[in-house]
Amino acid sequence: MLALLLVIALVLASSIGATNVSWRAALAGDVTARSILIGIRLPRALLAALVGATLAVAGVTFQSLLRNPLADPFILGVSGGAACGASIATAAGLSRLPGVVPLIAFAGACGATGAVFLLARRREYTDPTRLLLSGLVLNAFFSAVILISFGLSRQSDLTAALRWMMGTLFGATWSDVALLAVLLVIAMATLAAIGNDLRMLAFGEDDAKSRGVNVERVKLIGFITASIVTGAAVSVSGIIGFVGLLVPHLIRMMWRRDFRFLLPLCALGGGVLVVLADLLSRVVVTSSELPIGAFTAVLGVPFFLSLLRRNR
Amino acid sequence: MILELRDVVYAYAGANAVDNITATFDAKQLIALTGPNGSGKSTLLKLVARVLAPHTGEIALDGRRLRDWHAKDYAKQVAYLPQDPDPAFSMRALDVVVSGRAPFLGRFAWERDSDYDEAERALALCDAAHLGERYLDEMSGGERKRVFLARVLAARPQLILLDEPLSSLDVSHVQQFSALLRDIVDRTGVTVIYATHDLNWAAAYSDRMLVMQRGALALDATPGEVMQPDAIRELFGFDAEAVRTGGRAWLVPRVGGSEQ
Repeated sequence: MLALLLVIALVLASSIGATNVSWRAALAGDVTARSILIGIRLPRALLAALVGATLAVAGVTFQSLLRNPLADPFILGVSGGAACGASIATAAGLSRLPGVVPLIAFAGACGATGAVFLLARRREYTDPTRLLLSGLVLNAFFSAVILISFGLSRQSDLTAALRWMMGTLFGATWSDVALLAVLLVIAMATLAAIGNDLRMLAFGEDDAKSRGVNVERVKLIGFITASIVTGAAVSVSGIIGFVGLLVPHLIRMMWRRDFRFLLPLCALGGGVLVVLADLLSRVVVTSSELPIGAFTAVLGVPFFLSLLRRNR
Repeated sequence: MILELRDVVYAYAGANAVDNITATFDAKQLIALTGPNGSGKSTLLKLVARVLAPHTGEIALDGRRLRDWHAKDYAKQVAYLPQDPDPAFSMRALDVVVSGRAPFLGRFAWERDSDYDEAERALALCDAAHLGERYLDEMSGGERKRVFLARVLAARPQLILLDEPLSSLDVSHVQQFSALLRDIVDRTGVTVIYATHDLNWAAAYSDRMLVMQRGALALDATPGEVMQPDAIRELFGFDAEAVRTGGRAWLVPRVGGSEQ
């Protein structure tokens, strides 16, 4: 059902836009229609689906690892690190060089995750509470660095930086799509490989250990995998909130199953949400683009609340 | 099944939580592990469950040291239930129980029909066959305990370790659950070691009682030998007197300094 929904969302997103072009024209050989649909809208819709899938997969992974329903891909400082890297790059005037900001953002995300993980580790044990706390504190630090960087940036560079901070898929390319698709497939295969062990963490770490699970190894693999794909998604899309937190909960309310079932369902659900949110962000006003993160919340929150009411 | 502990020591922050314990356990026994709060019962269970590793001493199952067992193979033999299990997310009872089969699953494998058959058998053994389709957050405390007991039984282990399974149960459920443990031991031949604070229930249903005090094994004897008011007063600081009925001693609090 979700897969069908995702296909419908992708068709809708690639068909609707500021310029009125049709797939029929593109297939008939119309060059303009082709370049708009295949060169611009399709990669953008696919990238939206991949970013949404990535964030939701990372979200369900972090929630399962930390046994905390409030965990999301950004709480561990991944987004903060990425935004910090991007804003420093902007302040240094590097934002006009193509591909530099995403690269530095990705480095920032990885660095932040590594720092959080090291902070939370004590005597070969990674404490989930310390992990959350370290993420929270580092995020606060990153916010400060971002504000300072903005103060030092040129006015002309600021608009692009702000747009990135609010999340945008403007200018999506096929190479972005390919890169994120490969990473997501690798990440999902890795998570599926530790899925049997990871879902046992829901019963508590002691319980999982007694069932023969190497808890520290599962945590390490899970965190690194989810953090790297989050970093990659953030570097191509900027910061899109709510997906990682909201989608796993939505899916859990509809299918109350363990991590191994939730993983593919979250990927599809996250894809649907971000494709639709991106579509809305493009078409609500035609003169400019609104932040996608706002629309993921606008779409997701009412749905979430209705499920919450029905389940209680 | 034979479990041997030899000079087992485990320390938290410099203090010995488990202090030089030596004991042997055989098959088909219901063993109550008692002792005051903080006497090391939970730590001892975690050591046997391989959640913690002893700092010194040896634990061996069937003559093989714990560290020589592959983790998953050991988990097929020994199942552990922590105190008050609280899954992060609500789940269907049958899924909870079938997750007890996890040590048998390969890396990418899913539970097969035979695993679900085992889960249903375990639920039936715990008088909980009717709970399979219910969700944990829709259950009473007593029902949840049965589901989690079924979960440890689902792997058909030789040894089951339960950390205070009777806590927060009302008196009729304590009785039912104690009788259920007795019945499971008698029917399946599994050995159950369970931590409990309730001396009278432990004495009524178990084959053997271990009393821990400040990490050490203070008493290891039959219920009849443990249930002596003088010994209990010394070990627990419980001012008790014994009341004999049905050929068995029950310990009741001595009220108002009355003499026997």
